Amino acid sequence: MQKKICMLGGFAVGKTSLVRRFVQSIFSDTYLTTVGVKIDKKSVALPDKTVDLILWDLAGEDDIGSFRVSYVRGATGLVLVIDGTRAATLAVALTLRERAEAEFGAMPFVLLFNKSDLTDRWAISDSEINELRQRGWQIYLTSALSGENVDDAFRQLASMVTE
Amino acid sequence: METLRQLLVGREISELSRVSDLLDEPEQLAAAVGGVLPSAAARAPHAQLGEALAPAVERAVQRSIQKSPRTLTDILYPVFLPAIRKSIGEKIDQTFQSLNETLRHIFTWHGLKWRFESWRTGASFSEVVLKHSLVYRVEHVFLINRNSGLLIAHVTAENATSEDPQLISSMLSAIQDFVKDSFNEKEQSGLDTIRFGELRLWSEVGPFATLVAVIRGNPPEELHEIVRDVLFRIHDEYSQALEQFDGDSSQLIGVETQLQTCVELKQEDSNQGFPWLVTAAVLLILIAAGGWFFLSWQSGQRWQAYVSRLATQPGIIVAEQKVSDGQFYIAGLRDPLSADPQSLLSGTEVDPARVHSQWQFYQSLEPEFVLKRLTASLAPPDTVRLSIVDDRIVAEGEAPDTWIDRARSAARQLSAGGPEFDISKVRDVSPEARAAEHWQAYVSRLETQPGIIVAEQRIRDGQFYIAGLRDPLAADPQALLSGTEVDPARVHSQWQFYQSLEPEFVLKRLTASLYPPDTVRLSIVDDRIVAEGEAPDTWIDRARAAARQLSAGGPEFDISKVRDVSPEARAAEHWQHYVSRLEAQPGIIVAQQAARGGHFYISGLRDPLAADPQALLSGTEVDPARVHSQWQFYQSLDPKFVVKRLTASLTPPKSVRLSIVQGRIVVVGEAPAAWINRAQAAAEQLSEDGVVLDVSQLSELSLPELNRLREAIQATDIFFNSGKVVPGPEQTPVLDRLADQIKEFAQSARKSGITARFMLTGHSDGTGRETANASISAARAETVRALLNKRGVAPELLLVRGAGTFEPVVPENSQTGSSTNRRVSITVNLD
Repeated sequence: MQKKICMLGGFAVGKTSLVRRFVQSIFSDTYLTTVGVKIDKKSVALPDKTVDLILWDLAGEDDIGSFRVSYVRGATGLVLVIDGTRAATLAVALTLRERAEAEFGAMPFVLLFNKSDLTDRWAISDSEINELRQRGWQIYLTSALSGENVDDAFRQLASMVTE
Repeated sequence: METLRQLLVGREISELSRVSDLLDEPEQLAAAVGGVLPSAAARAPHAQLGEALAPAVERAVQRSIQKSPRTLTDILYPVFLPAIRKSIGEKIDQTFQSLNETLRHIFTWHGLKWRFESWRTGASFSEVVLKHSLVYRVEHVFLINRNSGLLIAHVTAENATSEDPQLISSMLSAIQDFVKDSFNEKEQSGLDTIRFGELRLWSEVGPFATLVAVIRGNPPEELHEIVRDVLFRIHDEYSQALEQFDGDSSQLIGVETQLQTCVELKQEDSNQGFPWLVTAAVLLILIAAGGWFFLSWQSGQRWQAYVSRLATQPGIIVAEQKVSDGQFYIAGLRDPLSADPQSLLSGTEVDPARVHSQWQFYQSLEPEFVLKRLTASLAPPDTVRLSIVDDRIVAEGEAPDTWIDRARSAARQLSAGGPEFDISKVRDVSPEARAAEHWQAYVSRLETQPGIIVAEQRIRDGQFYIAGLRDPLAADPQALLSGTEVDPARVHSQWQFYQSLEPEFVLKRLTASLYPPDTVRLSIVDDRIVAEGEAPDTWIDRARAAARQLSAGGPEFDISKVRDVSPEARAAEHWQHYVSRLEAQPGIIVAQQAARGGHFYISGLRDPLAADPQALLSGTEVDPARVHSQWQFYQSLDPKFVVKRLTASLTPPKSVRLSIVQGRIVVVGEAPAAWINRAQAAAEQLSEDGVVLDVSQLSELSLPELNRLREAIQATDIFFNSGKVVPGPEQTPVLDRLADQIKEFAQSARKSGITARFMLTGHSDGTGRETANASISAARAETVRALLNKRGVAPELLLVRGAGTFEPVVPENSQTGSSTNRRVSITVNLD
């Protein structure tokens, strides 16, 4: 079973480093700057089956206009990545999701607040996160450095897209 | 009833009539069905509905086209146009490809081969070209979901590898999207060719899936059609599963078999190229066979050349010969004296190991072989010559009768068939005749000798007599006998001496009497004796006298060509004479000398005791004014000079004699001990220079009278009063006696060759200051010297010194101490 998953997020939120340690990859990071997308694979073993998440890591852009929405076609899930030290990236991620869903309909997603190791520069309040959680969204505080919660997030998404 | 019926079912009846009206009335029915048809069609099973509608739709389309083709064309235009465009593009590509390949191969070796193949198989030439030149292999086929880019199926050819196909397929569709987005391409077809070196990616886009073929090599354009066909078939069979694909490919397992047909497509280069291996093998065999044939032909030729050479050899008869299996066989007769067939092989290139010969010996009767045999058996003397004349063997010359007899019997033995042996021309030689011949040869040899005149000669009773004149300087006739075969014991000679006037003898005599210097050369020119060169005038005078003496009948002696030697040359000779005289002088070493510009330069070492070079000049005729000398003094170690130096420095007493014995200097005689000591010191010094001075034969001078006198003198003391430097009057007789003794001693010693000296030592007592005492003591000694001098003692014999209080004769504190210590003492020294 394979699923196309798009990773969306603003510039330098850490999408690429987030997946680098946890996925299988054959393409170099230069694809991101040349083609605008890099494809990695994350195999997640669920109790009844194994799901291959084909991760489309889209080049992060703060300029929403240049977002290649066509890359999202055929995706069954999204990973929205936010830089926890830059509050503005939350808005970027949500905007990107809106654009993707406007084009291709609603799809399951997980929301990752990345760089959780940089606690002293953390810019997102707990209340804000709690409020988002109350919407029923799956939210994870992750760190590419420690790997905290990354596997859980992918596992959660895998089970959501195969339901 | 009717009413009841109306009541019970009246509503249904009216409804029924309305429905039947509806069914009966086509207008109404159409309106009714039209109302439900869309939803009915939607609910009907797709397959059945399709099947039900297909004939009607087909007919409708048919009708529509018949009625107005334009309508349908308009409708289908957007669908067909890209397909047609693509198809035409491919067709053109195909044509170009075919044209390119045809042109490329038209004039090559392959081209010719393929033309033959096309003629044989009936295919067009370009088809054959494409078949051979388009070498390719489909290595991978990916079937990719068009929507999500997820991989549906992937098939790989044998030995082909790739990275994770899932990632590749996603990336491929990402790139498709990328190109489409980047260049704003709206067409549905997508990217159809990616080329990277040998590798091509061809993609065919279907409604739900894209098929990507990875091809290595140079595929023909038709391959597009094949790939497209596969894609259509897959869509046909699995259209529903493809449409609903959500990442789970379990519904599409059969797809891989379809894809497999693509992967199996390939055109491999036929390995049946030019059969190099076979050609090379055949060529090798041909070369080997040709080489073998050539070699055997060549060795046959060589063999034949050898055989014909043998056949022409005298004394060899070839009976048979053959060549078999590369071996050569030959048989025949040969004379032992003929050439060796084996040795004749060398030089031909026939391999001796392959030659098998069988020779029988026989005696050839050919004259030359008979001659050889006769020569070997008869051993003719040197005076006999055997030769072949008209196939006869002829002996000529002289031989002793014994040999002639043997030759005659050999001639008789030569049997019939052989050549004739003619010895009639051999003369008998007797020993006497031979001896006479030798004698005559000797005489005529003598007659040709210069300075020898044979007056008469004869032979009688086996003895030889000869008489004549000979110059003492001529060759000795006796010595000339050796080498002739004349027995010297049988020769009786009588020679008178005379002076030959033949120039060469005159020359010899002149050379002996005039003794010409090296610079003069005497020679004979046209019977004249000519002297050439340089000579001193004295020699020229002598030569002139000799020339006058040469009387009439003798050769002329020409001395006009002798030049008087120049004064310079003579001066140089004188100089050389002087130099060699100097060199012979002991104590003179000539380092270098030169004569330049009429001046003479000489430098070297000379012992001051050696002869004076200047003085040696006198008597040498060298002009002293032209001599420039530079002499460094040195001490010659020549014993003569050493003796001179020793005599000067040691002044030996008369009782001593120095002499040189076998290079050693020996001192003999008597001398005082002091002189002996000095001589020994000198000997030690000289021994370092390698000169032996032998003083072992010296003995100490013993003169009892002098010794007695010396003791008397040395026992004398002159005493002084305290503080006085002049002795008191009571000392006068002591001084008088002392003066007499000293004078006597000095005189006696001088007679013995010894110099005596007297040391006067002044002393003082211990009273007073030391400096005053020292000067008093010295003054006392001086006073005594003056007093002795006054009494006739030579002052140079007297030495004085002041000893102060340091040499008291008795201890100062004794009773007589002071008065005894105030004195002058005397010691005698002998040299």
